[in-house]
Amino acid sequence: MSTSEVTAHPRTTTPSGDKYEGVIDLEPVKRAHQPLYTERADVTADGNAAAALAVLQMWRCVVYAGFPITPSTKWIEMISAHVAAQAGCKKRVKLMEAEHAVADYLAASAASCRDLVFPTATSSVGLDHMYETVKSLGASGLGNVMIINVYRASANYPLCIEGDPSDTLGQRDSGFIQISCRGKQQIYDTVLQIPCVGMHHDVLTPTMPGFYGIKDSHRNARLVCEPDAAIHAFQDRWIKPCPLPGLINGDTAMGNCVTSRFFQGFKVGQKRRFEKVLDVLPQVGADFERTFGRPGISYFETAGWPETGNVDLAVVGMGPDFGTFEEIREGYAKTHGIKVAGLCIRLLSPFPREAVREKLRRARVVLVVNQAHHQGRGHLTLDVADALINLPSPPAVVSTFCGMGGADVSESTWEAMLDNGRRALAGDMPPPYQIFHEGAAL
Amino acid sequence: MKPLDPRTILRDSVLEIRGDGKAGGGLVLAFQSLASLALTDPTLHVQEWPFFSSARRGANIRSFVRISARPIRIACEVTRPSMVLLMDEGAANSVDFAQGVPAGGTFVFNSRHTPEQIAQHFHLSGRVFTIAGDDIGTRHLKASIGNVSAYVAMAQAIGGFEAKAVIDTFLATLKKRRIPELILQRNREALEASLAEVRTGTFECARPGDHEMPPFAGYGDLPVGAQTALRLSQSNKTAFYARSGVRLTFADPDGKCNGCSHCITNCPEGIILWEPDEKIGVRVTGAQVSTYCKLCNECISVCPFDLFTEKPFEEKWAEAEVSS
Repeated sequence: MSTSEVTAHPRTTTPSGDKYEGVIDLEPVKRAHQPLYTERADVTADGNAAAALAVLQMWRCVVYAGFPITPSTKWIEMISAHVAAQAGCKKRVKLMEAEHAVADYLAASAASCRDLVFPTATSSVGLDHMYETVKSLGASGLGNVMIINVYRASANYPLCIEGDPSDTLGQRDSGFIQISCRGKQQIYDTVLQIPCVGMHHDVLTPTMPGFYGIKDSHRNARLVCEPDAAIHAFQDRWIKPCPLPGLINGDTAMGNCVTSRFFQGFKVGQKRRFEKVLDVLPQVGADFERTFGRPGISYFETAGWPETGNVDLAVVGMGPDFGTFEEIREGYAKTHGIKVAGLCIRLLSPFPREAVREKLRRARVVLVVNQAHHQGRGHLTLDVADALINLPSPPAVVSTFCGMGGADVSESTWEAMLDNGRRALAGDMPPPYQIFHEGAAL
Repeated sequence: MKPLDPRTILRDSVLEIRGDGKAGGGLVLAFQSLASLALTDPTLHVQEWPFFSSARRGANIRSFVRISARPIRIACEVTRPSMVLLMDEGAANSVDFAQGVPAGGTFVFNSRHTPEQIAQHFHLSGRVFTIAGDDIGTRHLKASIGNVSAYVAMAQAIGGFEAKAVIDTFLATLKKRRIPELILQRNREALEASLAEVRTGTFECARPGDHEMPPFAGYGDLPVGAQTALRLSQSNKTAFYARSGVRLTFADPDGKCNGCSHCITNCPEGIILWEPDEKIGVRVTGAQVSTYCKLCNECISVCPFDLFTEKPFEEKWAEAEVSS
């Protein structure tokens, strides 16, 4: 998009909350979009490619800022190659000198045009380098910022390049909407849907979809891509001209110090918008499913829950390794004569407490599987325990760790963790947490 | 032993394939192409992904593929593959490429050796496919790279793919990488040549206990600083990262070494051998090539008398000498 194609109308005031509708004419931007697909297409893609294709197909994405960092590098590589190869393409790639500059660029560009979506992809150290600006962005009201995080162990010693969600889980309080994906199709579909949540007028909160490095970023499979026009129609149903954030007037400018009275009030507003995600997200997901015939974004995925009645053992996990649990679930349950079900958490922030409680209250024991380093019993464990705390007779919570640093989570590891849960069913509660690998408790 | 038919496996359950090779050897491209080939059948589901070492070019890497007629949910690594590929014999120095393969499984090799030689040397029971991919690469691609041929051999080992689809899919994968037309044409020639050069046989050479998976033995002592038993720097002989088929040699029959020591100071691995010399101070006597030499060629480039050279090297197989 060249600047000459954007018609700017001069304004003399900048009242907070003004929608500025029509101030920037987006029609030329929309017209300049060159569709990738005019009809539904089957392609082979890995996770990075799926996320790249999704943003390339969105007319609202015209500038892609990025910095290469394993395992997310292919995202910006693929977008760059596409932009360079497509004659007359108006989209632009901005390769920045480091990740902190990417975050700064996102903040500035997203604030300059609230109705376009400004994405990047990063990972681990990259996300850590963005930390200061990410925290400001989380509070900014800029729902049009999307940081696609490819999970990798957070910057620590020793460095590890593989899928460990400690980077994303370390950003739980950044204020971003965090949603976890597994599999190419879910990654693609989520990147298409999540701006509809973040840019919703009740929410106005930046988004951080994420998926596991290597385990999903580099895993190829079949991907169904929707026609660009259908994607635009879907997104335009949800994304309306956004109001300006209440941040641009004098003493409330982003970065300036404010009084505690203002600060607390500001945070109340931020938290209320954040909680609205729990209302909006299922609506967007349901519309996506009606439109495209695939499951839309949701709080979590379920496996093995009966229509009614209780289960003995409920597993809570996230990411692609949950698929291995799904694969062995039925056989394990049959072998041991117990009912086993599972929740694969997708919405990490805000955590869907009520929905999780309603599901898990039907379990006798809850086995939580954490895959990121944590100072205590595990990020997911704390959220699950919090969700269950007000139940009159809450299920016992068994906490485990596995797959840290992207370590393989084999069938035997799942079986060992399930055995731990089964012992708790018999009243033999294990230690506060245990770490498992290759079928052994370490 | 009854050979396991890959087509039956992928129809009834999940065909799991594992490949071992060296970084930079084209293993990932071969597996990506195989995944794309399987996906040309709309009834099949596929997962394909690599496992990279954190080390450099030449280090061992792995690739995995799952193919099935039903949706694939399982996400863990492939530890009991019914089919394996060894892209580079050098990679077998560091891992047991056949570990976990059941009797009757399929073994595919990029190698000049015959299937019989391979089965005897590595103690394999099952179907063995070999192709001299590096030679085909040298002939058509002007580079000793066998991934084109290894891909063809894997496709033939699975069976049921038309030759045209095998060729077109690989070329389509290359086109995604924006490879120039001339190189595409050479790859086409290599693919066509490979189709006719795959050799195969069924053998029963495994002994009890061969290629069994050892149980996880834990991490051992855990002293501060991640110095666990898994740390490889003391035991990993990174000479295996070097290109296969050549080795560094040192020869100074005329006593030309003048003690300049450039080779000693430039060797990044500190493997140059020397002894004190009254006249020239330091006399170089060779290099510990079997431990850490990765053929970086630093010593070759700095020696003023060309005392270091690369020479062809091939490991002798005892079994090969007795087979026809």
